[in-house]
Amino acid sequence: MTPLQQGPILLPERIANLIGLGDGLLGQVVGGLIAAFLIANIMLAMTAVAGPWAKRKITAAFTDRIAVNRIGPFGLFIIIADAVRLLSKELIVPEGVDRPAWDLAPIILPASALLGFAVIPMGSGIQLADPETGLVFAFAVASIASLSLVMGGYASNNKYSLMGGLRAVAQNIAYEIPLIVTAASVVIFTGTLQMSEIVAVQREALISITPALTIPQWFAFVNPFAFVLFLVANMAEVGRNPFDIPEAPTEIVAGYQTEYSSVYFVLFYLGEFLHIFLGGALIATLFLGGPAAPIAALEVIPGFVWFLIKIWAVFLLTQWARSAIPRVRIDQLLDIGWKGMLVLSFANLVLTAIIVGVIV
Amino acid sequence: MSLERPKDRDSAGVQRHSADEIADLLGDLVIGREEHINAPGYVIPPDAVQETLSLLKNEAGFDHLSCVTAEERADRYESIYHLKKFDDATQEVSVVVPTAKDNPVSQSAEPVFRTADWHEREAYDLVGIDYEGHPDLRRILLPDTWQGHPLSMDYDQERPQVVSLREGANPLQEDHRDDQDSETMYLNIGPHHPATHGVLHLKATLDGEQVADVDPDIGYLHRCEEQMCQNGTYRYQIMPYPDRWDYISAGLLNEWAYARAAEDLADIEVPEYAQVIRTMGAELCRIAAHMLAVATFALDVYGDFTAIFMYGIREREKVQNILEDLTGQRLMFNYFRLGGVVWDLPEPRDEFFDKTRDFLEELPEALEEFHDLITGNEILQARTIGTGVLPPEVAKSYGATGPVLRGSGVDYDLRRDDPYGYYENLDWDVCVEDGCDNFSRLLVRMNEVEESAKIIEQCVDILEDWPEDERNIQANVPRTLRPDDDTEIYRAVEGAKGELGIYIRADGTEKPARFKIRSPCFSNLQTLPEMSNGEYVPDMVASLGSLDIVLGEVDR
Amino acid sequence: MIGILKSMATTMKHALDGQTFTVEYPDVAPEVSPRFRGVHKFSQERCIWCRQCENVCPNDTIQIVQDDKRNGEQYNLHIGQCIYCRLCEEVCPVDAILLTQNFEFTADTKNEFVYNKEQLKNVPWYKGIDPLNSRNPDRDAWVGEGDGEVDYQ
Repeated sequence: MTPLQQGPILLPERIANLIGLGDGLLGQVVGGLIAAFLIANIMLAMTAVAGPWAKRKITAAFTDRIAVNRIGPFGLFIIIADAVRLLSKELIVPEGVDRPAWDLAPIILPASALLGFAVIPMGSGIQLADPETGLVFAFAVASIASLSLVMGGYASNNKYSLMGGLRAVAQNIAYEIPLIVTAASVVIFTGTLQMSEIVAVQREALISITPALTIPQWFAFVNPFAFVLFLVANMAEVGRNPFDIPEAPTEIVAGYQTEYSSVYFVLFYLGEFLHIFLGGALIATLFLGGPAAPIAALEVIPGFVWFLIKIWAVFLLTQWARSAIPRVRIDQLLDIGWKGMLVLSFANLVLTAIIVGVIV
Repeated sequence: MSLERPKDRDSAGVQRHSADEIADLLGDLVIGREEHINAPGYVIPPDAVQETLSLLKNEAGFDHLSCVTAEERADRYESIYHLKKFDDATQEVSVVVPTAKDNPVSQSAEPVFRTADWHEREAYDLVGIDYEGHPDLRRILLPDTWQGHPLSMDYDQERPQVVSLREGANPLQEDHRDDQDSETMYLNIGPHHPATHGVLHLKATLDGEQVADVDPDIGYLHRCEEQMCQNGTYRYQIMPYPDRWDYISAGLLNEWAYARAAEDLADIEVPEYAQVIRTMGAELCRIAAHMLAVATFALDVYGDFTAIFMYGIREREKVQNILEDLTGQRLMFNYFRLGGVVWDLPEPRDEFFDKTRDFLEELPEALEEFHDLITGNEILQARTIGTGVLPPEVAKSYGATGPVLRGSGVDYDLRRDDPYGYYENLDWDVCVEDGCDNFSRLLVRMNEVEESAKIIEQCVDILEDWPEDERNIQANVPRTLRPDDDTEIYRAVEGAKGELGIYIRADGTEKPARFKIRSPCFSNLQTLPEMSNGEYVPDMVASLGSLDIVLGEVDR
Repeated sequence: MIGILKSMATTMKHALDGQTFTVEYPDVAPEVSPRFRGVHKFSQERCIWCRQCENVCPNDTIQIVQDDKRNGEQYNLHIGQCIYCRLCEEVCPVDAILLTQNFEFTADTKNEFVYNKEQLKNVPWYKGIDPLNSRNPDRDAWVGEGDGEVDYQ
């Protein structure tokens, strides 16, 4: 990790200073570890809330039901109950699975998502690292997820899993390119890949009425078209409706995770939610001003809270889509990806480049 | 005792053949005549089945092989082909094919009617008649290892049929992994799969994501309902069982199938008031069944227990509450009796009418919501239009009925074409869509819900105005019914899934000698390979959902 | 695209209107129709041991044991095997067997579902509904009216 001269002080340095280790090598290592541990735990805690509780409550709201309400206030203790239940189940290892690939797949998936959070500026000074190529790093580690899906699908010795794995690859390739190309249009605006810089650029005013009522230059406002493209591509990237083809419960049972039970299932489940949150974090950073408040008057609320709100909004959107949009077929998915999204995202990139080149 | 409808009633200008004209047409093929209550029967030799059936199909227009009944009599085996016309369901003919006891071999009707494929397999499986020229004569409902034919006379009920797994057929036995040249993949979809609507096993051969071939393997839920009915008395003991064929809230429709056959058999007149209640109850059941069909179809396409499924279940729940008030139960109604219904409307009647009317008032709004959610959704349209195509001629040949047939553009609804109950006096339409695809079948079901609501509304009005002293809910029927010896009847009603027919042969006792159920799902499921071969796996799942099968009725 | 947005608007409308359809069983005992058919209640005082219920039962759920003078000794009913068709209540000339609205029963083995006459007698009414009262108007219609002589055999 190269020490950074400019930009805000990062979380590891702060922790190192706080516990009095200074900015030596020891301070960097210990501070980094503690900071990583903290961020990972925040994300895991959010997943724990999202998976067993929030998802159920949200789905229930869409379907006129109540959902968990028996254990604890608002049924919140279901989180603990579910954790105990899932972890105490027997881990069934089917005959003929390809170990250790079968064991590694469920570890890689959450790990890849957690790594991505390392470069996300979460506001209130919470950022693990701020490399100059932060955006590329985030996309790179997030893409490792498809490797996990393929590994799990292939190693399970199950035809449904295999089909799920293959679908996952086809889908990820088809949608990662539009995703990154759309992100590139943001980079053209900002001229940097550094996450903190991308956020900083968006802080400038787009429309300023009074100092308190200033609408910032978020790229969702500057280029809504790219925002929508990115949202859709992201939905496919994290495999949510209408693009939950790799799992497709009514077609291929549960896709790549058919044969996973107990702890491994929990890891897959965690990984999926972490990916939704990582997708949300990327959307927030690239298009919604990161941890910034929408208007200056609301800046009394800390940036980290704004960041969480934005992530959860994206999570809510995935659940909303799940309740209302049918799954597309695999060939339609690829059609949309290669013939639609790819073309549109390149068009968006070229247009942005022209506009930026001419006007700015 | 003849309940034959007058022969001069001519519907839609379809040519009507008298029994003698048909005998002349068949000429020397006929070796004897029988008189079934529903239709004239022609006895033909076992090697002339194809010739006779093609004559009837091509020359006389009997293009609907409704059912194949096989039974063992004291001195012979018998296959009965119940033929109808799609253009006029009241024209019926029975072709009786006796075969010798020691060598029960009969010609297969499969080349003439594709639907005979499964029906004859079932006949072979349960009764033991051998069909010559059948493309694939193996057991269909029972496991391959089963010994004996359960509905034959010398079948040993006591004999254990336990077969160890090792002796049974193991679908995984063949190891295809080393088969390097193979371009296809064999996949067992089911018996435990989220989208098979019960325990259905589809032996699918996939070419990549596309279905190269699919062979439905049924019988996991086989309870031999036919034999259960043969062991019950006409008057009481059979009626609870029809609820359990199509157990997804179509109970009253099923009960009506038995009631209609048995009432015509025993010459029982049903009071008009009871007919109105029956009509209303049956249509409530149809709404409940179609709501579930739409909900599960959405589930198959959407992929999760999401909004549409829950909204569909919610509407169905309201219907079930009304049915509970009326019949006392939510699924297993046992509400019809021979000669009427068991209970009058619940007191206070106004409350019941209000509740029903409230439901009917809210229904259009709910349906509008469904149209917003499902049929108006572009992705769903992209998923369903043009997939699972079932051309009308193929559908007819397979004996598909109900919304599946009407989704293929064939205007055939027994409620109108072979009127029973109070339908004739009500104002409603038959819903037909000619898209032949999954979307049309979905639309037919949703439109039929509207039509059913119309029927119920009219029934409620009629019931409300019915004079209090004329509320006769049941005819006076003896406690023991013994229909005359050797009378046979085949009668069908329009169930939720299609034509639900019952064949009964009486032998002078209080229990039927042969009770055969013509299940609409059984025939409809047979079309699945036609619809899904060459399509993608998700489309096959959607097609299966659009067929709306209930395994309880397929396997009986 | 409009259709998709309409779909999403529809579900969001449901999410925001706050109405739910869930019955919070067992916290809230569900309303059942007075005609609902649940676990049987048997009254030995009324029973005349005519065995009609045993005869009419479609799947041999009722077993009656009599001594050599045709006095009733046992009345056993397998509530787990019963299909709740209510035919026994329908044929009973003295209302000795009734189906209450109770739908809850649990046991460790299915053998425990074989209720003898004492257990059947102790089955409580559901919410105090006496089905005989609520069904009575209909019973009269069923037993008494109709054209011509009623055939009792």
